Amino acid sequence: MTVAELVDGPLWTVALTVFVAGVAWRLLVLIATGWKRDLSHPRSGSLGGAIRGVVGRFLPSQGMAGRLRLHLVAGYLFHLGLFALLFFAAPHVDFYRDRLFGFDWTPLPHWAFILAAEAAFLGLLMLWLNRVLNPVTRLISESGDHAASVLTFLVMLTGCLALARSHETLRLLHFFVVELFMIYFPFSRLMHSFTFLLSRAAQGAHYGRRGVRV
Amino acid sequence: MNAYGLLWGLLLALLSTAAQAQNDTPPQSGIWIPNPGADLWKAVRQRGQPEPSTTQVQGLDSNQLINVAGEKFRDWRRERFIRYAAYLLAGVPVVILLFHMLHGAMKLEPSGRKLLRFDLYDRVAHWLLATVFLFLAFTGLLLLFGRFVIVPWLGLDAFSPIASASKEGHNLFGPLFLVALLWVFLRFVARNLPAWRDIVWLLKGGGAFGGKHPSAGFFNGGEKLWFWSLAVFGLLLSLSGLLLDFPSYAPSRELLVLALVVHGAAAVILVAFSFGHIYMGTAGVEGTLEGMRDGTVDANWARQHHDQWYAEMVREGRLEALSEAQENRAETTTGQLEEGRT
Repeated sequence: MTVAELVDGPLWTVALTVFVAGVAWRLLVLIATGWKRDLSHPRSGSLGGAIRGVVGRFLPSQGMAGRLRLHLVAGYLFHLGLFALLFFAAPHVDFYRDRLFGFDWTPLPHWAFILAAEAAFLGLLMLWLNRVLNPVTRLISESGDHAASVLTFLVMLTGCLALARSHETLRLLHFFVVELFMIYFPFSRLMHSFTFLLSRAAQGAHYGRRGVRV
Repeated sequence: MNAYGLLWGLLLALLSTAAQAQNDTPPQSGIWIPNPGADLWKAVRQRGQPEPSTTQVQGLDSNQLINVAGEKFRDWRRERFIRYAAYLLAGVPVVILLFHMLHGAMKLEPSGRKLLRFDLYDRVAHWLLATVFLFLAFTGLLLLFGRFVIVPWLGLDAFSPIASASKEGHNLFGPLFLVALLWVFLRFVARNLPAWRDIVWLLKGGGAFGGKHPSAGFFNGGEKLWFWSLAVFGLLLSLSGLLLDFPSYAPSRELLVLALVVHGAAAVILVAFSFGHIYMGTAGVEGTLEGMRDGTVDANWARQHHDQWYAEMVREGRLEALSEAQENRAETTTGQLEEGRT
């Protein structure tokens, strides 16, 4: 078996299985664990609080906005850029059609794809630099945080290097790094891609029940 | 003359006549066939009175098969530019090494007292530009020298994906350089305005020649020279790079060639300059890197290299305020220092 056959075949199957099963397992465990019953008299609705928690956290609270300016701008640049790349870049849409779903959707035009890539790179670099240069974020960052940042950067970088779509080696390199990313994903901080909704909703519901407005 | 001699004479005369006829006149068949290669290449190069060719391809000079001026530029680039760029980029580290061996690093006796030099935004902007610059320099140099360094070493088949990857990465990261450059420019320009003392600083080589360290404000003459070189050459680099990224928008091929020359020259100058900057920031001057890593520098470092800025800090009470905090064994983080500054 050649390296290409390994990367395109069994390794992809393993990566996809670990990713899907791992993410599902972690979410199930989180949901099944639940939280301690709140015996206090409800002052307001939990559902409203949960919705406020999910939506309201897309912007920082007023008192923190000034301090989080860099984080906010870089965070949105990176996450929106990556979302656009992941789901609307033409090579990815082709891949989803051919290897996963059997159908496709309208991809981004090339100029928008490049713009999304620029935004994602700029945002990720700024976020990581903030992580290592800000004494507070440096103190609370662990090796797993850096590993997630570096792996995400490598996925994006190898994808960008393979943009010409003219060399099989470059495509395989990108695909291999993506597979490593997928295997690492469920065991890492990268799970926040899914858990941020649960976390915000749970905290929002808790606050909502107690009548706390944040 | 015998019979053999007569036969040889006739044969030679026939051959000579036939050869002359072939050179001077069309063959006796009546069809004259000119040399197809000469006319074909004359037409391809559009020499003499070129007839405009037609094509459905939309683009600059897309109806021209071979551009003679472009070929000349390519030869110049391969035989002159790349050679002199290699001399410069190999020579500067050698000079720095020699300087370091003769002069050694500028030592620092730590005082234990810190001064805030760069806030978080300064540092993020600086390292963003540095990261993008290093990536672009690496991929750019691979593209410039790869044919001469990588191909003999790994072969054409290996260099092909390396070149393709370098080109794609270089093109994609190029606009990020412009963004980071503008950010750095806006954050640092006020502290880099030229002053008379910078000329003095430069004439004294920053104290390398003549012993006494010349006076300097927040940035010294050398740092300001690097800043303005970065601003000017960085802008040239970015604008020429954008033109090369979108060649179909260029008004003429000559402008594209000019952009290539400007891009290459500005890049080589900046990379060579960056060697000096990296040396001074790391091995050359003790305590400098700390300023861009943690934001703070030792008070002795400030007094030694930026005496006027140090005096200003003392006058404003920044040093005393921080020293008191440190004496009280308070955990002084850069965040607290930044609050003190604002």
